[in-house]
Formats: sequence, C-alpha cells, structure tokens
Amino acid sequence: MSRLSPYLLSCAFLTAAILLSIAIGSVFIPPTDMGRILTGWFFAASLPESLQTFAFIIVSIRLPRTVLVLLTGAALGGSGAAYQGLFRNPLADPYLIGVASGAGLGVAAALSIQWPYTFWGLLAVPLAGFLAAMLTILLVYSLARLGKTIPTTNLILAGVAFSAFATSLTSLLMLRSTGELRRAFGFLLGGYTQAGWNPVLTILPFLAIGLGFLVLNGHTLNLLQFGDEQAQQLGLPVTRAKTIILVAASLATAAAVSFSGVIGFIGLIVPHVMRLWFGADYRRLLPLSIIGGAGALLLADVIARSVLSPQELPVGIVTALGGAPFFLWVLRKAKNQGYW
Amino acid sequence: MFRKLLVALISFAVLLAACTPSATPVPQPPSTTGPLPSTTEVPSTPAPTVLTFTDGLGRTLTFTGPAQRVVSLAASNTEILFAVGAGAQLVGRDEASNYPEATTSIPTVGGWSGFSNEAIVALKPDLVLAGGINPPELVAALEQLGLTVYLLPNPATLEELYTNLETVGKLTGHIAEAAALVESLKGRVAAVDAKVGSIETRPTVFYEFDATDPTKPYTYGPGTFGDLLIQRAGGDNIGAHLNGQWVQVSLEQLVIANPDMILLGDAAYGETPEKVAGRPGWETLSAVKEGKVFPFNDDLVTRPGPRLVDGLEALTMLLHPELFK
Repeated sequence: MSRLSPYLLSCAFLTAAILLSIAIGSVFIPPTDMGRILTGWFFAASLPESLQTFAFIIVSIRLPRTVLVLLTGAALGGSGAAYQGLFRNPLADPYLIGVASGAGLGVAAALSIQWPYTFWGLLAVPLAGFLAAMLTILLVYSLARLGKTIPTTNLILAGVAFSAFATSLTSLLMLRSTGELRRAFGFLLGGYTQAGWNPVLTILPFLAIGLGFLVLNGHTLNLLQFGDEQAQQLGLPVTRAKTIILVAASLATAAAVSFSGVIGFIGLIVPHVMRLWFGADYRRLLPLSIIGGAGALLLADVIARSVLSPQELPVGIVTALGGAPFFLWVLRKAKNQGYW
Repeated sequence: MFRKLLVALISFAVLLAACTPSATPVPQPPSTTGPLPSTTEVPSTPAPTVLTFTDGLGRTLTFTGPAQRVVSLAASNTEILFAVGAGAQLVGRDEASNYPEATTSIPTVGGWSGFSNEAIVALKPDLVLAGGINPPELVAALEQLGLTVYLLPNPATLEELYTNLETVGKLTGHIAEAAALVESLKGRVAAVDAKVGSIETRPTVFYEFDATDPTKPYTYGPGTFGDLLIQRAGGDNIGAHLNGQWVQVSLEQLVIANPDMILLGDAAYGETPEKVAGRPGWETLSAVKEGKVFPFNDDLVTRPGPRLVDGLEALTMLLHPELFK
C-alpha cells in the first residue's frame, strides 16, 4: 500500500458522504433534476422555473447543513484521536475531561432565560455552551496540575468527577425549567437547532486553530506514546506539549458541541477504526481521523434526517446505534489484534 | 514544506471565517403565487388592505393581503385556523395536529423532535404560523430562508385567546368569521359563569396529567390553563398553591388534601379509573372510594385554541352535574 492510498480512500469516502448528504433530504429531488441543477451551476446557466425550488433547497438548506456536519465530525474525529494519544487510553473520547457536561450545563442554564430575538440573543445559548465548556477545561486542568506537571491520571479523575457534578446540576436545571426541558434534552441527545451559514462561520476559526495545531503535533503525540519520562528524555517539552494538545483538542470539541449538541461515538470509534486499518502513527492518524470523522458523521446525519422524515432523529442516537455494531465488526475482523 | 502549506491553509481558513456572514450571497427563494407579504416595507401608494402586526417575538410584520398558503407549526394553530374557516388555506401541519379530522390529509413538516426546513420551503407557503411551543431558532432559520413567520404567543387568559383568534382571522382574510367565533365563545363562557355563580360548594379537584410514577403524579399549577379553567368551572385545584406550572404532588400530600374528584388527563395514555383504584395507597382517597375518578381529554385544556371553551364546559359538567339537570 503506498503512503498516499489511505488519504485517497478517506477522501473518496468523504466525497461520497458529502454527495449523499446533498442529495438526500426530506424532499425527494429526482436524480435527473439533481444532475441538471449541478451542471447548471457548473456552466453558470440559468435554471428553469420548476427547478428553482430544488436549487434553493440544495444551496440554502442542505449545503450549509452538510458543511456544518462535516466540520463537527472533523472536530470530533480529530480531537478524539488526540485525546486517545494524549491519555494513552483506548477509552478516551473528546468528552473525557468534561467538555460535553460543561457545555450541557451552560446550555441548560442559558435555556432557562428568555433571550431577546436579536442576532446576539439567538447566539446566546451556543455561546454559553462554548464558554462553559472552556471554563470546565480550565477548571479541570488547574485541579489536575501538580506543580509543573500534569499527570494524565489526575486529569482523567478530575474530569470524571467534574463531569458527574456538572451532569447532576444540568439534570436539576432541566427539572426546574420544565418549559425548556425538550430543548435541553435535544441538546444532550445531539442535534442541530440552528441552520444557515452563521453556525459554520462562527465555529470555523476555532476549528481551524484547534485542528490545525493538532495536525502539526502528530510527531509530538507519537513521542508521548512512550510515556512522559521517556518523551522528556527524548527532548520533548512534555508539559507544554500536553497543554497545547489539550487546549487545541478541547477548543475544537467545545466549538463543535456548542452548535451540534453532544454527539457521542464519533470521537471514540473513528480513531480506533483508522488505527486498525492504517496503523497508529499519529502523523497520519490525526488527518485520517479528521476526514473519517467528517464522513462518518455525515452518513449518520443523512440517516437521522431520512428515517423518520420529515421529523429528525437526534444524530447522537444514530451514531451510537450504527457506530457500536460497526466497530465491533471491525474489531473482530482486524488482522492486527494487539494494535494498541 | 508540508508544514508551511498547512500553516498557509490554516491562515486562509481563519481569514475566510473573518469575513462577515452577510458577504455570502443567498439565492432568492422562488416566488410564491398570490399577494406577496412584504416585511417592513412601506408601500409608496397607500393600499387599502395594508395590515401591520407585531408578533409574539416582538417583530413587526406588514402584509398587503391575506395569506393563501399557510403552514402551521403547532397543533393549537391548526385548530384555530380551522375554527376561523381558514382550513382550506392550510398546506402543511406539524405531526401533533390531529383535530379536526380534515387535518390528517394535509402533509406534515415535522414535529416534536424537529422540523424539516426543506419540507416547509417545498410547500411554498406565504405564511408560517408558529406557536409558543416552537423555539426561536426555528423562526430565525425559516426567516433566513426568506419565509414569513408569525409567532402566535401563548395566551395566558381567555381574553388573550380571543385576540389570537382575531389576529389569525385578519392574517387569513376571515375577519367576520373570527369575530363571530369570538362572540359565540364569549357567549358560552358567560353561560358557564352564570351557572357557576349559583353554586354553593366548590369541590376540590386533583387533575393528573402524568402518573408514570404513581407515588408522585404531575398536576397543573398556577399559570396554566388547566388551573384557570378548573377555577372558572367552579372547582378548587389542588395544585393551585404549588410552586411551578407543571408540578409533582406526592401521594402523602394527596392523602392529606383528599380531593373530592380526580380527573385523569392522561387517559389518552391508558390510565383508567380501575387502574387508579389498583394503585397501592390510592384506595384510601375518598374520590377513589366514591368512584369520582373520571377520564378527561387533556387536549381540551392544554391546546391554546377555541377548544379551551369546550374544556371549560366539560369541566363544569363534571364538577357540577347538578347544574345541568
């Protein structure tokens, strides 16, 4: 297998998922019309009256949604791989140290207030989720620090403890404000409430910075697999590297979660599948997890949108229902058992 | 080399995101047939039927004519539309809309777990009637797609309900019918008030709308229509002095309060008076011993539409059957 073929495969998968996401929705657009619309754009021709609604649906509804889901999946896949490398733990996922529970708490708190119907008012709930998630990371990081080092065990323990605390507070808030219970619950199950290009443009800078730093730190993650002391002796500034990776991965996750709700399994399963198929070199694993996560979430979103059409299943349910059996199948068939 | 390329790509992505959202061009929605409602545009020559409304979110909307294709996003809105005679103008509904019978033939566009913006756009409505039950993000998303959305706020009193009915009448061009409907509703409410004015005792009522846990059932507290209508029908709601709108009552409190009558708002979910009598601890309640446990159609007190008056009359008949002999 050449060095490029994993990327080719993943990109092909992603492209197929993107096309599927644009083509499928609750309104059935016949493939011939679809072809005419796409060729119409390509050659900048004007479309006949009958196709304008379909074109509008594709450009203004499906395309922003596709890009948002793509970015969310990329963030989850990439930060999942980074967390697994950072904590050297196969059970690590992007929500390990409390990003999801922190965001859930922020969102539940924000939903109990009636925000005015303005640009900032509509942005208030995702913003509250994002800020709460970043505050959680800060808190957990400070709690876990021991002098100048950050033992990973402490991070995990502090994260799990704070997650439990935040989750129970969230449940309390949800019980108290029964009027907004459904919206808070929808967030926790994972789903997209905002549409259009605004969410995409809002999270893009955070994702670019977060995922960019992660991809540049592939070699660092490889070194960290040897353990903190070994990596230090190999010349890596361990504390600084861990902090950067932690912050970058959490930034990407927090930005994605604030608009998409808590979508599980993508951050856990996709890196494992990529590792089983293409090896555990993080320089390659990180970009592949990013691409694979984007494709996987796109597929899950297509299913979530079509199964109960015109209603939408929360995406988090589909990822769990589909992801778990798929991963078990991959695990059983893997030739390199003991890949971890 | 690869790292430089990556850094360049990242910087490009950040710069791209720094552009304002308004810079992305959005293709215009396809034109709808019939009189087009325009948002906040003052016509140069005053037209005779320019109507300005302020909806439940405080937005001002201007219409040049009645809406001909309406999509309803709440079951209560569907009932109101049919009641004012605008049923023929309804082209899309939410899944919970099940009254009257004619709604079942109208295509659905979503429901409890979300709406499909595509399906709504594909129906080419000139008015989307949202309710208090719909989140503001949905209204914003539909507005961004170029649709006209009017959010009918949840009424807190019957007078606010009448205002909502008149508003929908104006929006859909059934002003006379809406006015007639309001008059008939007012007449029926006045008749109930007259009857209830002559009662001597007010029975205490426990209205249960969720008993998934029979030791802690849910009831209506102050601020809900359930509470308001029970009071108006000449009863005392057990939940009236509780904290919150949809509150739990423990079985112990219920035994102490010992209501004269129990109404099962969750009858649609399978609760029957026999099942209630079989619940451990409930057999001591005098309402259960005297057989004063009645099923009730919860939609009549929860959907903020004209059927609230049906609910009021039904409650009065249950609470004071002696008035109807």
